[in-house]
Amino acid sequence: MEQVLFRHNRPDRSVTFEEYCAEGGFDALKKALTAMTPDEVQQTVIDSGLRGRGGAGFPTGKKWSFVPRNLPGPRWLICNGDEMEPGTYKDRVLLEKNPFSLIEGVTLASYALGVRHAFIFLRRDYETAAANLQAGIDAAKKAGLLGERILGTEFSCDIDLHLSAGRYICGEETALINALEGKRPNPRQKPPFPAVKGLWGGPTVVNNVETLANVPAIIANGAAWFKGLARNPEGAGTKLFCVSGSVVNPVCIELPIGTPLREIIDQACGGLKPGKKFKACIPGGASTQFLSEAHLDVPMDFDPVVKVGSRLGSGAIIVFDEGHCLVEATLNLIKFFARESCGWCTPCREGLQFVKEILERIERGGGEERDLDLLRDHTRFLSYAFCAFAPGAMSPLDGLLANFEDEVREHITRKRCPLKG
Amino acid sequence: MPKLIIDDIEVEVPAGTSVLEAARSVGITIPHFCYHPALAIAAACRLCAVKMLDGPVKGIQMSCALPAQDGMVVSTTDPDALKMRKLVIEWLMINHPHDCPVCDEGGECLLQDFTIAGGHGIRRYQGKKRTHVNQYLGEGIYHEMNRCIQCYRCVRFYQEYAGGTDFGVTGCAGRVYFGRFDDGPLESPFSGNLVDICPTGVFTDKTGRFRARYWDYQYAPSICPHCSAGCNLSPQAYHREVIKIVARRNDEVNGWFICDRARFDKSDLNDPLRPRQALVDGSPVEWEAALNALATRLREFVQSHGADSLALVGSTRLSLEAGILLAELAARYKGVRLCYFIDPAEAQLSLSKVEWVPAGMAASQAELREADFIAILPCDLMEESPMIALAIRQAFVKGAKVYLVAPHLTALNLERLPFQVQVVPELADVPLGEAKRGIVVAGAGFADLKGLEAVPTGVKFVLLQPGPNSFGAALLAREYRAVPLREAIASGKVKGILALETDLPEELRQGLTFFAAADWRNNGAAEPASVFLPTSAWAETGGTWINYEGRAQRYRQAYKTGLPLRGLPARYYGSQEAEPPAHPPRVHRAVAPGGDTRSAWMLVAELIFKLTGEPAAEPYAGKWAPLKHIDPEGPGMRLPAELLAG
Repeated sequence: MEQVLFRHNRPDRSVTFEEYCAEGGFDALKKALTAMTPDEVQQTVIDSGLRGRGGAGFPTGKKWSFVPRNLPGPRWLICNGDEMEPGTYKDRVLLEKNPFSLIEGVTLASYALGVRHAFIFLRRDYETAAANLQAGIDAAKKAGLLGERILGTEFSCDIDLHLSAGRYICGEETALINALEGKRPNPRQKPPFPAVKGLWGGPTVVNNVETLANVPAIIANGAAWFKGLARNPEGAGTKLFCVSGSVVNPVCIELPIGTPLREIIDQACGGLKPGKKFKACIPGGASTQFLSEAHLDVPMDFDPVVKVGSRLGSGAIIVFDEGHCLVEATLNLIKFFARESCGWCTPCREGLQFVKEILERIERGGGEERDLDLLRDHTRFLSYAFCAFAPGAMSPLDGLLANFEDEVREHITRKRCPLKG
Repeated sequence: MPKLIIDDIEVEVPAGTSVLEAARSVGITIPHFCYHPALAIAAACRLCAVKMLDGPVKGIQMSCALPAQDGMVVSTTDPDALKMRKLVIEWLMINHPHDCPVCDEGGECLLQDFTIAGGHGIRRYQGKKRTHVNQYLGEGIYHEMNRCIQCYRCVRFYQEYAGGTDFGVTGCAGRVYFGRFDDGPLESPFSGNLVDICPTGVFTDKTGRFRARYWDYQYAPSICPHCSAGCNLSPQAYHREVIKIVARRNDEVNGWFICDRARFDKSDLNDPLRPRQALVDGSPVEWEAALNALATRLREFVQSHGADSLALVGSTRLSLEAGILLAELAARYKGVRLCYFIDPAEAQLSLSKVEWVPAGMAASQAELREADFIAILPCDLMEESPMIALAIRQAFVKGAKVYLVAPHLTALNLERLPFQVQVVPELADVPLGEAKRGIVVAGAGFADLKGLEAVPTGVKFVLLQPGPNSFGAALLAREYRAVPLREAIASGKVKGILALETDLPEELRQGLTFFAAADWRNNGAAEPASVFLPTSAWAETGGTWINYEGRAQRYRQAYKTGLPLRGLPARYYGSQEAEPPAHPPRVHRAVAPGGDTRSAWMLVAELIFKLTGEPAAEPYAGKWAPLKHIDPEGPGMRLPAELLAG
């Protein structure tokens, strides 16, 4: 199967600068700087159908095109590497194996957008990835692939690696911008969107690590090639899936986008652990809805997963077997979200606390019938929070109530967790 | 001008108006906590939810953050919106203490009002409440973090509006905490506004906690007496004592806020040693008897010494009405010395500053907030008139360039200013020629008015004065040809003084054959006076003061004068001469103890009647007639040109 992001990976270590270059690395940058205008680079990315790999799946080229042209003052590109979605570890694997695709991708995006100075905002705990990236940036700079007058052209670009102070909300793009400015990571009111008014008031594009790492291959091989990588007709490219939970072989693997969920679990991960039976899974990280066995044939691409009531998200699949209590699993996720709320708006700060209390009570055996309505009220009204955090946090609960209401009700009627003796 | 429909009412509002404000303009209050007209939109509390039935956006939206647009159809009473608002209240009440009766905010609490209005009553959350540790924030403000509903108003005011740096927000999720890094007094001279701006009881006025409830207060629109800025406020009194002072909105002057001196300094009003007893030769008498004695002695003095030996002295804190009547009294005695100032230099300075105001040369605080170039002449603004500095900060935040003319920088405390300045040695170094809305600010002590003549036309001025009514006193002095007291005394003729609400330096009383005084302030005038008459303080009477910009503002009586209940001496419970009273004591009185006072203007009017047998004339007649109708709750009145003209 064709590997794009993992093409240069070595089994036991990170690829070196020389190896990356020898395998065609930075050829895309050379091609773009010598033979393409910034607009052509942007158009190629638009044509490729690349969608944001951070979770929302917004078309990347379209996002770039929102940056107003001919606006005076600097514009900014930020690579969002604050990977803190529970279950998600694709960017870490990517960066620990190969920092250069990202560096090349950031440089290409900067060229397309007219950015002189780009930032990589990295999760604090990713120390190996950080060291790897910094070494990669230094190597690229030394080779004249970053810095002043790259490859002797008029284009200059620098990349700064910024280590987050460490909160989940920093992954929200406007909160990330505030954090980068040295402020509290509270999200900002939209509009204005970052593409118009972002970092220090300038137009800003925020893209995920995996998204940007795809750009060199798109430029090198063309939009049609990238589209052709997908398994489903509407998809484009490959996707990193990182699987955890009750499978034999939990891995981070690159597969064509649109690969059916069942195939990923059964073939790539070797199926459920011996003696275990599939019960549910989260398809795309903690802020996506649970899917049940009935959904296993869904092609893992943005739109098909939405059609079955969940989201592709970050592609982090967490598998639960029949022995897992989904109330407890949901509670575990809600605890994370309640703790990580930035505390700006009431629904998120207090509503998640309320949901946590209700789920704790239900799991303890103290649930009441009216709690179901109360939970449903929360899944509905937390969507009116300030940013996407609280609605995302409600997704597992939403999936729990949609697909596993009986299990919740059983907790209430039997006044205990049915899965615990 | 977008047109929209809110609850079946058609509304047209200026572009940029939020749906919440549009609703408010037709009398619909959409519940809100984090929204405050003076602060940037936070959209944090999510209480102002409305349902958009039609138009460019649909569904539940936060009305504070949604600009009104053509074709919007808004429902504030849609079941979904009501449910959202009810849930927000329920969420906030998860952690808020249920003890309104023992909270000082109870009765004037936005959270209390909207909780009741929203219909949340039964607690469904079964977990424990979150608790916080309170901080010591100085002697002005009491901190009770458990009551916090995280609307971020305090930090937005303190840091963004007022430029404070020692108070902020820490923590995240349910542990968000608003306070200082460490216990300690708040450094900002505007910190008291946290009391007003907090929608619940996290910040309460420590100087008046648990003394009375909102509905107990007597209060009225009033004006701050501490400087010439003329900020609007309301003294809140209970049982003849001012418990709290709160800011009062006036968009032309102070906006929504006041400084801490205005709020917390009630010491003059509540001074237990305030003179409250009429005295003749040091002996207590009824007010009427003292007034009779004053009239008799004045008449005798004038007969024996001549009117030109008598000085009638007002002050820069005396109301305009009393000042006008004092001139009328003076007019009855040809040759009498009428004084509104003590010091000739101060009088001269005030008068010449008045000359600058005509032709629209004076800038209000509102204009200062919108200025683009500001030059501050040497003065310690944060000491003299902090609200002027706060107004300059608003301009600074919007991008105004602020210059401090400081030939001797060491004398000025730059760190305290809530904005950045560029220091220049001379006013000429400020590029005021580039200004569209330039303003020059000078303190009360600034005397080099000649130096301002080089300022380009179009630039306005904030020329501060020492007293709350220095401007009025200067107008009166010019109109009635008054002389400064020192000048009158220097002539050697003055042998008698009637001092009306005037802080007279002791040496000016030396060598007088007659000295009478009327005042409410404990300034040592009562004891040496042969006749002393207690007057009602500014909060206890109505009047008019004119601020530095020539804006006449009326204040109303907030409460009736009298000794506060607290610390009432035993003699008020019985007669000192009679037998020890039975219990319970029966002392019949129609006036509250210490309440036998008159307003200064009334005193002068009665004195005129006693001396001449004719009633005093209406003060707002002739030239002063335009000032008769000033709405105390309005923006005040910029003096008309005919009044300002010399």
